[in-house]
Amino acid sequence: MKSSLVRQALILVALAFLPGIGQAIYFRDKVSWQSPIPASEMVTVAQARAWGANAIWVDARPDVEFEREHVPGAVPLNEDRWNELLPQFLAAWSPEKSIVVYCSSQSCNASREVARRLRDEAQLKNVFVLKGGWEEWLKKK
Amino acid sequence: MAQEKVTSASSTLRFQRSIIPRFVRRIAEFIVGGIFIYAGVIKALDPIRFASDIDNYKILPWTISVQLAFYLPWLEIFCGLALIARRLYLGGLSILTVLTFIFIIATLVAKIRGLDITCGCFGHASKNWSFTAHIALDLSVLAALIALCICERLRGNSS
Repeated sequence: MKSSLVRQALILVALAFLPGIGQAIYFRDKVSWQSPIPASEMVTVAQARAWGANAIWVDARPDVEFEREHVPGAVPLNEDRWNELLPQFLAAWSPEKSIVVYCSSQSCNASREVARRLRDEAQLKNVFVLKGGWEEWLKKK
Repeated sequence: MAQEKVTSASSTLRFQRSIIPRFVRRIAEFIVGGIFIYAGVIKALDPIRFASDIDNYKILPWTISVQLAFYLPWLEIFCGLALIARRLYLGGLSILTVLTFIFIIATLVAKIRGLDITCGCFGHASKNWSFTAHIALDLSVLAALIALCICERLRGNSS
């Protein structure tokens, strides 16, 4: 029984490799293999602040957290109310502005997802993720 | 007459022991197998998001998270199919039990570390589930998998 269990498990493990490898080849140019966000798409608090009025801050955290406190002038845009908030964001956006997306901390991925959707779905350029998120902004306040 | 009653009672008992547990087991296999196939398909459709979900646990480097995001959904799909089709059954059952166990431990560790995680179990569909809902579902699936393992072991011993 034990040997057939191992044999069957190995067959399944090997079988799953085939479509997995196929999919990895298909997505090879669409995914960043070295880091979740390429360094060119990240921005520090100091850099983003230096952009001044040329930056538009996007808060990707849930509404409750945005309402509690947020970066002055930031526009809320989270995935829960994406369709509702996107037009509001686009009304505040202009092509010459860089977009700085942040979520609660370094470990959250909401900013990464919102930035990805802004690039892929809204076809916007100059979209950056704030390194360290809201926590980092508070430290550098 | 008494002999007939004894024969009838013993055949009823045999029926309950053999047919009903098998029937219940098949339902469990379809439900658990179906859950893993569904979860696998949802994640295979958006591997980049799944890589992001794995990375959020802050256990593995990003490169490994991406590789797993391309591989794990298919492993779930094949193991789920193995459960339903009863082909490579033991292998599928063991892999799913181990995967679910590891996943529950990783989720608990992430919770203890205070990480802001989305489970990623069912892709975007499960994004707004509470931690309790996630753990309740995971523990139910693990219980069902362990029950199926026990059934299979008893079946192996009796045959």
